[in-house]
Amino acid sequence: MRKLLLISLLTIISGAAIAQEKVVSGKITGKEDGQGIPGANISVPGSSKGTVSAVDGSYRINLSASENTLVISFIGYITQTIAVGERSVIDVVLEMDDKVLDEVVVVGYGVQKKSDLTGSISSVKETELLKIPSFNAAQSLQGKVAGVQVYNSSGAPGASPVVRVRGVGTFNNSSPIYVVDGVILDDISFLNSADIQSMEVLKDASSTAIFGSRGANGVIIITTKQGKMGQEKAVVNFTSEYSLQQVGKTIDMVNGKQFGALTNEIIPGTYNNLNALPNTDWQNLIFRTAPIQNYQLSVNGASSKSQYYFGVGYFNQQGIVPKSSYERLTLKFNNTYMLTDNIKVGNNITFAPSQQQNAPDVVYAAYRAQPLRAPYYADGTFGAVPNVGNPLAALEYSNSFNKTMRLVGNMFTDVKFLKDFNFHSSFGVDLNFGRSSNYTPAYTVYNPDGTPNQQQNLLSSLSKGTSNSSTWLWENTVTYMKEIGEHKFNVLGGYTMQQTTNEFINIAGSNIIRDLPELRYLNNPNYFYDPTSTPVVNNLAAINNGVDANLYYSLISYLFRVNYTWKDKYLLTASFRRDGSSKFSPANRWGNFPSFALGWNVFNESFMENIKAITNLKVRASWGTIGNEKINYLKQYSLITANGNTSPVFGTANNLVSGATFDVSGNPNLVWETTSQTDIGVEIGFFNNRLTGEFDYFNKQTKDILVPLRTQGYFGNGNGALITVNAGTVLNRGVEFNVAWQDEIKGIKYRVGILGNTLHNEVLAVGGSKGIDSTLVGGFLGNGQAATLSRVGLPIGAFYGYKTAGVFQNAAQLNATPHDANADVGDLIFVDTNKDGKITAADRTYLGSPIPTLIYGFNMMVGYKGLEIMADFQGQTGNKILNAKEIVRPDPYNFEKHVINRWTGEGTSNTEPRASFGGYNYSISDRFIQDGSYLRLRSLTIGYTLPEAWTTKMRVKQVKFYARGTNVFTIAKFTGYSPDFGSSDVLSNNIDYGSYPVAKVYTLGLNVTF
Amino acid sequence: MGTSVNHRVSSFAFLALMLVSFSCQDFLDKKPQGQLLQTSFPVSQSDAALATNAIYANLRNWYYHSGGYPILDIMSDDTRKGSSPADQFSTVGPYDNFSINTQQDGLDRWWAAMYQAIRAANIVIAYVPTINMPDANKTQYLAEARFLRGIFYFDMVRAWGGVPLVTTPDPPLTLARATADEVYSQVISDLTFAAQNLPEQSSYTGNDIGRATRGAAKSFLAKVYLFTKDFVNAEKYALEVINSGQYNLQSDFADATGINGNYGVESIFEIGAKPSDGTENGGDQYANTQGIRGAPNRGWGFSRPTPEFINSFEANDPRRDGSIIFLGEVLGGVKTIGDPATPDTTKVNGAIVEIECYNQKVWTPGDNVPSQWGHHRRLMRYADVLLMASEASNENGKSAQALTYLNQVRKRARMGNNAILPDIAQTNKDLLRDIIINERRHELAMEGHRFWDLVRTNKAASVLGPLGYTNKYSLLPVPQSQIDISKGRLTQNPGWNN
Repeated sequence: MRKLLLISLLTIISGAAIAQEKVVSGKITGKEDGQGIPGANISVPGSSKGTVSAVDGSYRINLSASENTLVISFIGYITQTIAVGERSVIDVVLEMDDKVLDEVVVVGYGVQKKSDLTGSISSVKETELLKIPSFNAAQSLQGKVAGVQVYNSSGAPGASPVVRVRGVGTFNNSSPIYVVDGVILDDISFLNSADIQSMEVLKDASSTAIFGSRGANGVIIITTKQGKMGQEKAVVNFTSEYSLQQVGKTIDMVNGKQFGALTNEIIPGTYNNLNALPNTDWQNLIFRTAPIQNYQLSVNGASSKSQYYFGVGYFNQQGIVPKSSYERLTLKFNNTYMLTDNIKVGNNITFAPSQQQNAPDVVYAAYRAQPLRAPYYADGTFGAVPNVGNPLAALEYSNSFNKTMRLVGNMFTDVKFLKDFNFHSSFGVDLNFGRSSNYTPAYTVYNPDGTPNQQQNLLSSLSKGTSNSSTWLWENTVTYMKEIGEHKFNVLGGYTMQQTTNEFINIAGSNIIRDLPELRYLNNPNYFYDPTSTPVVNNLAAINNGVDANLYYSLISYLFRVNYTWKDKYLLTASFRRDGSSKFSPANRWGNFPSFALGWNVFNESFMENIKAITNLKVRASWGTIGNEKINYLKQYSLITANGNTSPVFGTANNLVSGATFDVSGNPNLVWETTSQTDIGVEIGFFNNRLTGEFDYFNKQTKDILVPLRTQGYFGNGNGALITVNAGTVLNRGVEFNVAWQDEIKGIKYRVGILGNTLHNEVLAVGGSKGIDSTLVGGFLGNGQAATLSRVGLPIGAFYGYKTAGVFQNAAQLNATPHDANADVGDLIFVDTNKDGKITAADRTYLGSPIPTLIYGFNMMVGYKGLEIMADFQGQTGNKILNAKEIVRPDPYNFEKHVINRWTGEGTSNTEPRASFGGYNYSISDRFIQDGSYLRLRSLTIGYTLPEAWTTKMRVKQVKFYARGTNVFTIAKFTGYSPDFGSSDVLSNNIDYGSYPVAKVYTLGLNVTF
Repeated sequence: MGTSVNHRVSSFAFLALMLVSFSCQDFLDKKPQGQLLQTSFPVSQSDAALATNAIYANLRNWYYHSGGYPILDIMSDDTRKGSSPADQFSTVGPYDNFSINTQQDGLDRWWAAMYQAIRAANIVIAYVPTINMPDANKTQYLAEARFLRGIFYFDMVRAWGGVPLVTTPDPPLTLARATADEVYSQVISDLTFAAQNLPEQSSYTGNDIGRATRGAAKSFLAKVYLFTKDFVNAEKYALEVINSGQYNLQSDFADATGINGNYGVESIFEIGAKPSDGTENGGDQYANTQGIRGAPNRGWGFSRPTPEFINSFEANDPRRDGSIIFLGEVLGGVKTIGDPATPDTTKVNGAIVEIECYNQKVWTPGDNVPSQWGHHRRLMRYADVLLMASEASNENGKSAQALTYLNQVRKRARMGNNAILPDIAQTNKDLLRDIIINERRHELAMEGHRFWDLVRTNKAASVLGPLGYTNKYSLLPVPQSQIDISKGRLTQNPGWNN
């Protein structure tokens, strides 16, 4: 009766009651669980009529007398066509589409059935994301997605990994963008892995071109968790993890006695009694075993009109170097409400305050510190360490903190209209409030003779900073979905706007009145005044206020895409995006980014029916162009600089008088970097898809690469000044493979998979119309030496320097061989590569590539009842690493162990030159180039889920214990801490400057679901 | 109901989209924040003053001082590398023993810093004439800019010979090296303009003290002509400075370079600096680079006087102790203890090759680092002008006049003690030339003159040859990075590559 009333009411309001119509209603449920399916399409062939099912699966549709058929469809289910007849209530049970491939994949601005995809997209699901105990979910992509490389630029807590999709296509920022629930971001450090449902990596142009100017480096779409429709009882999940980290290996260095002996060879008579020299293992002193704690609590569920997910996470990582740590709280709120059958509103919000403590760079200092210096004197004070300072003192006096509060989220609405249309509008924000504080007390380390060492800070110093960034992104799309017979259309059009602004204030001062944390504030005028102190206490000395040029821009985009499928066999996708960016001058502001793709589901062809072994086969091909605009907005402008450095001192009172002049020139002619990419892929399944494979060939060319180039000194931009120009073309091509076998034998489930990609990276052109350079010099080591030269025919950031051919054994050999004026007997022989009979800078040559030619991972899983063992291996080959930390030696630093095998006379060594503290033998040469290949057991997990019979008694759904090792072992020839490191600067890639190592981690965890 | 709400919502959305589309050009115009554009500078008289001031600021750039380290003195026979034995052994050390290469540390810094300074001058020279302001002010700024550009190119032509000659703020991309003669004639043209249009020192007051003067321009012209061996003009300009009545010698030799003589009678052109750590705070690291290493901690201790130089002074010449800080010496109440990592005495085969000592010319009172940043480097002082006048007069056959100016310098050095440093009476041109150059060595020691004095008088091979000097060192190599970037359009100096 109530229902009738409601129907009558609706009929009256809509004012469209027509006598001849009949009303059909019913409920659509899934066959597996009997639950109602919301959002299923109910359409009438030959008519524009249609509706969608409500939250509980119920539907209602008016049919005219002539209309007698309903088509019920829902993504992931087999479409049914139903003859209505005289029935007015028709309940429909939809069956899941058995084809394994018909999982739903998140694509840019929508979702698609995997079988309908024409692009190359890899999904990583939630279970994989929780395997790596890291604050950053991107870590879990390492070794998991063909074509994706994840590096660590530093192992410090809170350091974000460097992610590369299909190689390095630009000299500029090569990081992909992240799209978290529709909000486009550059960084996901705020996201708790436990809140993530899935990550999809969009690799080819067909998938990424819809992101236009921003997709050239790949797109990673992240969908966070949501309550499941129909799951009315709240599900509570709790996880607790405790991990211990250790440095994986230490670097072999000489000991105190050996260092003394080597010093005596270089400067005779420095140390008289080698046996009396102390020996300090500095690495041992700075590394510690440190814990990670990780707790998650989440609740999710749904009612008939809403879905919800609440998550709370706490992550605390202490660093393996003291005084480094990262701590983060995450609060996640995802909600969706059905306002009417056609209008949905919702929000996805993350609030994440975090705190990071940064240790000073003691890892490099410990590497350089002479071993014959004691860390402490007998009285317990810090011992002086020449040239690098005492690393322990540096740690003791360091107080460097960053705090951030990040709010990322969006509110959205979906409105269905005119039956086949859906309007989606999302307003997203990314608010980032950061504070930094750095305090160094006044201190002095004394030399053994009681004089002050250079490691001192005469006045306590304090600097503080705040920065405030905000981004808003408003996206509006209209989708039209239509199935006409064997033709399926999905058309998308949209308009988006984004604005990012930022402002920072940094202040610095000195002479804090007391060395107490609660007094670390700066005032001007001072509240404290000490007439005996010069300068004044709590002295505010500098203020710097401005805008981070990387975070100040706006974008407008128009987007369009059509997907067309015929007979579920032939697929076509075409997309187009037009972007306008404030980063370019008005004349160069707009860029157009088209793509085109075709797919063929060969398996659906009738001729495949007889080939029983093959249970899936699809081929696809795509082409498109995508842009990259990741440069800071000031690069187009030529600016004025006015500061202390441009001001003279005049007058007898030494007054700093203001001056202003031209800063480094900008380039108003900058245009977009454009990447065009071709992709050909095959997906295949055998034996009921127990064996699956996916193969892609890709060819990516980036042209007009924006790159900061050194320019002629005579332009007057100053030493080392760089100007951004569109100056290059780079090729990345390779083959991606992902093969897996899974089966179950007598209750034993197992899965083995191997995936990876080959990569050929080559610079096709360098140098723009300005004729600045045919090469790109990079990898500056800080002592004027440049370690990389990118030029045509070589990979980006190729190492270059001298080739060596042994050690000069005697004067006769020296005199008979072309040699540098500085070379003597016992020194390295540099090869005269240009055969001009002289050793000059022109003999520097290609020494290897920092980019691997093969990146791979293989994964294994075995499960029996509640027990599960998983192992993930990951590795790469074909790349080199430059051990730069060993090269830069302006002062006498400690030596790596191999120096012990030095040349000491004819025949003693033909690889290791005579001992020296620096100079000729430390020019960049193949002596410092090492093999970057490695194989690592990335993670090994043993998990046990308690039998359901027990847990039911405990009134708990599931209880799981697990033990896990991360970075368990690494097989590598590289002598440094860890061979997997990268740099956000692609011209300085795989150069080991002595960074914070990546740790081994051992974890125990408990997961309970109520 | 649902349908009508849908319609309303979608109509609103489309309307909003339309509105937004209309304003999108404005939305994409982002003005640089907190930044002034070059296209709007300099456009006023105060801009012209700022732009002119900024040229002077280059003199405090550490790289301006021969790339940072005092390599010219280190390459001369006056000083060695200094600091502790291993410090900058491979970067600065090779300048000491003449084993540098085309990529040697510091070359690129010096080269780039000079052109950065020249650009600042070119900005004033190019744009100030277009500004609506009184002609007298225009001329003043132009003359200051041309003076500074002149002395910058003078350094470059002496260091590298013919360099790319940039005289506009926006030089062509394909510039090659000019000849040394072309650079010299630009230097002479700039300095002559400055000499004609700048005021004398005495007319500056307040915050104008320290700006370029007519006397400074003429003094540098005299020096330029000495290097081009135009002794008639050298004599002419040196005498004009002497006869201007603007300058005199300090009675105390210490004040010739010390803090009490800042902007004093002997100072013709000096670099103002504040006693503050950091160039951005008004400091100049030139003196800190050479200051006492260890205790008191005044600096890095580069450029250490050689035993040969220490012993080369005439008997009891007060300038020896006035120029060199020895260990144990008490200055301004602070005892010099020195650096623990530096041997007090270094011997090779029993002979003393180095003793720990420091350059006193850069000393400023105090016991800390920041005070050392306040030293005012003298780029031109009256004693130099007197010795230039003496040298040019001798070359022009006026030995009596030469002796007059030479003996003025010696008289001051004597500081009242008539038992030492007797007047010179030598009139033989060649012998007197040697005496004048030797006087320059001791009067102007460690002020960056000696190496180029030896090169210009063709004495470098004989004096520095035993230390490793060869003729190619008469010019430094063009930084390899500059040749690389130019794709070889910039050529290397003789002897350095082929």
